[in-house]
Amino acid sequence: MTSALTGLRVVDFSHGLSGPYVTKLFADNGADVVKIERPGTGDYARRLGPFPDDLPHPETGGMFLDLNTSKQSLTLNLKSATGRRIAERLIADADLVVESFRPGVVERLGLDYARVAAISPHAVMLSISNFGQSGPYRDYLGNDMLLYAMASTLSVTGQPDREPVKIGLYTPLFLAAGTAAALTNGALWGAQRDGIGQHIDLALMEVLTGTLDRAANNIMAVAYSGDVMFRRSKEYRRSILPSGVYPCADGYVHMVAQPFWWDRFCRTIDRPDLIDDAHFKDNLFNMAVVDELDVILYEWLMRHTKQQIMEKAQGLGLPVTALSTMEDVFHDPQFRSRDYFIRLDHPFAGELEYPGPPFRLTESPSEIRRAPTLGEHNEPILCGRLGYTRQELVVLRQSGVI
Amino acid sequence: MPLPLEGIRVLSQGLVWAGPSATLLLADMGAEVIEVETIQHLNPTRTNYRFPPKALMEGPGGTVYVDRRAEGRFWDRCGVFNYGKRNCKAVTINLNHPKGHDLFIRLAAQSDAFLENNAAHVVEKLGIDYPDLAAVNPRIIMLRFPGYGLTGPYKYYKGYGANVEAIAGHTSLRGYRDLDPSMTPPIYHADPTAASHGVFAIISALRHRERTGRGQLIDMSQAESVINHLPHAFMDYSMNRRTQEHWGNRHPSMAPHAVLPCRGDDEWIAIAVAGDDAFARLSRAMGRSDLTEDDRFADVVSRHRNQDELESIIGAWTATQEKVALMETLQAAGVAAAAVFKSDEMHGNRHLAERGFFETVTHPEAGTHPYPGGLAKFSATPLHIRQPAPMLGQHNEAVFKGIVGVSDDEYEELLREQIIGDSYLEAAK
Repeated sequence: MTSALTGLRVVDFSHGLSGPYVTKLFADNGADVVKIERPGTGDYARRLGPFPDDLPHPETGGMFLDLNTSKQSLTLNLKSATGRRIAERLIADADLVVESFRPGVVERLGLDYARVAAISPHAVMLSISNFGQSGPYRDYLGNDMLLYAMASTLSVTGQPDREPVKIGLYTPLFLAAGTAAALTNGALWGAQRDGIGQHIDLALMEVLTGTLDRAANNIMAVAYSGDVMFRRSKEYRRSILPSGVYPCADGYVHMVAQPFWWDRFCRTIDRPDLIDDAHFKDNLFNMAVVDELDVILYEWLMRHTKQQIMEKAQGLGLPVTALSTMEDVFHDPQFRSRDYFIRLDHPFAGELEYPGPPFRLTESPSEIRRAPTLGEHNEPILCGRLGYTRQELVVLRQSGVI
Repeated sequence: MPLPLEGIRVLSQGLVWAGPSATLLLADMGAEVIEVETIQHLNPTRTNYRFPPKALMEGPGGTVYVDRRAEGRFWDRCGVFNYGKRNCKAVTINLNHPKGHDLFIRLAAQSDAFLENNAAHVVEKLGIDYPDLAAVNPRIIMLRFPGYGLTGPYKYYKGYGANVEAIAGHTSLRGYRDLDPSMTPPIYHADPTAASHGVFAIISALRHRERTGRGQLIDMSQAESVINHLPHAFMDYSMNRRTQEHWGNRHPSMAPHAVLPCRGDDEWIAIAVAGDDAFARLSRAMGRSDLTEDDRFADVVSRHRNQDELESIIGAWTATQEKVALMETLQAAGVAAAAVFKSDEMHGNRHLAERGFFETVTHPEAGTHPYPGGLAKFSATPLHIRQPAPMLGQHNEAVFKGIVGVSDDEYEELLREQIIGDSYLEAAK
């Protein structure tokens, strides 16, 4: 079976985390992605850990290996006229151009959208940056924590008497990048149908501000009611039923029990007698009785494992899940039974398990290949595609172009 | 010039937060998204309660209606629905009734895609699963994205985004370094994550259909989708069998990397210092160039080892500063720093204002309010809010008569038999 995006040609100038996440989605689904890397050092993500046995090596960085699957690596010095000419020849055949330089850099390199459109009028170009190509924050520095702060999401994450606390390492970047990929794929669809390309100026801050996690919900709450929906709070329960993370015999579970599921909750904790107990049943929103219920709940939780609690609750229709460590994730029967993890062999990193594709197109599945070594595809691209001879490759190398 | 997805008709049962996050992207790009609801049951994206309890309407949390009043057609005045379903249409069909089921199948025969994130058993029981639709429309693309996917022991498990975060390993990687996970605030990263991947998948399937003439089923697990966002911890386990715990606000190499207090009540600044040069710039901005000579902080490794002390020194200084002015000063000095903005500061934010991020829209029930507009700037086909979110059943007539070809008589019958309608039956009681 052929992957869905087979035939799409992508020239990828992006580096780091968010841009490469966009192009990974394209590459894993069959697009031909040529990743342009700086000669010598390559994508700075090659410096990011984790590394096998904590021994840094430019070809074994875990972040790079995962974010650059299925791509081809071409080294190119974009500051040389020859490097730019080669880039332009690749752009001439491209459907999509992606860049994540700081704003202003593609203009200095002569590879801005005006130039791309002149070479390849039907192409879509995605510029993905922290704050966008315009506006007072354009040149600000940012990273995942800073963007989460400026999108206002950080302000409501954490305990009220403490500093706000961010979410998992880098996750806001991947969230915004996934949205960027979806928008870019849509723009490409239209561009190819209508034969007219366009430029997408995507600001990670704006995507995170408009994302329907806590950020956009709170922004809508302010617009609709003058006050926020979420704030940092000790208690996340809005009724006496549990909602959040709770301890159990061997770890933690995440429980969500809505008030209209009171009967399911009582059965879950082996207390069907409470279903009609007016003391609780008539006071589901009365937090004065929550401590009494918690005594019963915690006592039951501490007698059961997270897997037992999940199975019992889910069997009764209550959304409760085990709180998994990454070790648990690796051994989880659900992910294993779906063959979610994939194994890839890499000449430097060896055989490792990687996250599988985030979705399964049953008729045109993703096909994920290992990340390239630096400049691994110089010869097939420069000689095979662009017609240079091998001796000319040596010229390019000695001139510092590749 | 037409919007990119113009001409693509997408049926949706896109619920709660993942659903609206997906329909927002599709409809903003011009797809004709038709939300299929029912008047028999409240749509949890609009409201969970016939008459929301007072406790849910007051204070933080709960569904946000205009002015926090659950009066009249309050389900048309819900912030989440009205944000995520802008540019969409809405119809109602009682899918449990044979005539309703028939109506849906006829609509699906005229559609390009159907996306749904119900619990996994729902469409199977209703007889609107992929095989049912493909039988009348082999070109249809169906995206199903329940919590855990369409196979496996958890297939029928239920889950909100926060449940999905837990089973996917994200919850164990966040929170305060000194507190246990039960003090970990719920977050809702899984919902928009699934939506972005799902929209990418649908558009990819369109491309496959263009080539082959055939639609397909997309099986998406929200939990697997979240694991794709955890490569650092995942690869560490894969490579080193190391189980990472929460990083809090810290970073594998940067130090300081912290959220520190500013002047005022609950005001904060996030600061991330990547190397020696950045630290020298921060020290200069603080008037404390001596810090770069201090053995505890003079190099990246020392700073990483001595973060507690470093944070208290810098925090004592930031606590005397106003957060926005401090951000501007530090950024001008080349130090990565961000004010922790509160939600009510976003509407007036000068960067967003200059880029035209918010758009003001008038909704017939909700009134006139600012909403975040398109999530990226498209140069040829700008993304805008072209129409407000639909009211319950608003497009019944246009869709059923105009697209399905229902006659006037049949339409009256559907109304009479309450297979379609524009008001919840419960509300009429």
